[in-house]
Amino acid sequence: MGATDDLIEQLAGQATPVRRLAPPWQRALIWVAVSLPPVALVVLIHGAHKSPAMLVADWHFVVEAIAVAATAVTAAIAAFACEVPGMSRRWLFVPFVPLAIWLATLGQACAQEYALLGGQALAVREDSGCLLPAIIGGIVPAVAMVAMLARGAPVMPRLTLVFGALAVAAITNLGLILFHVGDASIMVLVWHGGAMLVVAALAALLAPVTLTWRRVARD
Amino acid sequence: MNHHDRSGERLSTLMIAAQGGDHGAYRALLSEATPIVRRSLRRRYAFLAQEDVEDIVQEVLLSVHKVRATYDGRRPFLPWLFAIAHNRTIDMLRRRSRLSRREIAVAEYPETFDDAQTNISDDGYGDPQALHLAVAGLPRGQRVAIEMLRFREMSLKEAASASGMSVAALKVAAHRATKALKAALAGGGDGRD
Repeated sequence: MGATDDLIEQLAGQATPVRRLAPPWQRALIWVAVSLPPVALVVLIHGAHKSPAMLVADWHFVVEAIAVAATAVTAAIAAFACEVPGMSRRWLFVPFVPLAIWLATLGQACAQEYALLGGQALAVREDSGCLLPAIIGGIVPAVAMVAMLARGAPVMPRLTLVFGALAVAAITNLGLILFHVGDASIMVLVWHGGAMLVVAALAALLAPVTLTWRRVARD
Repeated sequence: MNHHDRSGERLSTLMIAAQGGDHGAYRALLSEATPIVRRSLRRRYAFLAQEDVEDIVQEVLLSVHKVRATYDGRRPFLPWLFAIAHNRTIDMLRRRSRLSRREIAVAEYPETFDDAQTNISDDGYGDPQALHLAVAGLPRGQRVAIEMLRFREMSLKEAASASGMSVAALKVAAHRATKALKAALAGGGDGRD
């Protein structure tokens, strides 16, 4: 056990004070506070299609926006909780509730539009209008998320990054749904839902090389 | 309150002090946590060899050191520690399984050329006891460098972080240690600077 005892001595000699990581929900709020202004700025620059008063009167929009915002917050909490060894896994199921509500509102809107317009309501066209705002708006949330995740323990790297990516996609989406008020719901479902899935899948693929024990960030 | 709870509470108190920079508390924490991790690994992964258990214990200690900021003093300590231990064990088993898929164990490497002169005869690994003694006789800095870089195969960055030495100092120490060991094992003096 000599080598282990030597290691203990060496590590004890490096017991510099560390800043304790805040609980996951607090870190999630910090991340939201950092991420929201750039998303809001992109919405302001590109211009929303309707006035805030009209949007608030549209219950469908309100439910959708709340579900997307809740997905962003709960996915961020889940991502940060994944990085605390021994943390309860309860948190990991929470984001699926608002995500399901968001998908359900879109599904219901698709069904309504189908009943009204028939097959034409389900036509998916190419629409890259919101791609540039999505990329610009998503940069700060993504960079902030990666920087914050680098301080945790990579005990579940894939799940951590999938939830982190979901949070980034959702908060960016919160700005983008303003561009699509009045658009066919199938377009939002396919392009935004699809983009979320792609981003989460990419994150899962990148996890083994990004969140590793070697790369844990120090204070 | 049972022994497990008391031990967890004491370790939690020590970790909180260690997060504040208390060297003594940190030493006590690591010393007391080490046998707990060792016992847990032996019980949970009974198939592991003794030296593998010790390797994982050291990995766990290094990992605990790296992520000690993630421990929240209001939460129990032992689940935090065991989650790291389990994670590092699975990592090691995966690494080993990947290696075993790529490598084939052979008793003796085949000759590579027909001409006998081009093949160097295998002299074996020498005398491990002599090597152990020679390493033990090295100055502390050189011994740490050789143990971390060669025996534990840590990267320069990891070894620098674990030992508190700079990368340049580690390189120099490893170079000097290799020279000293060569000289000691060849019987040509201890080669210290």
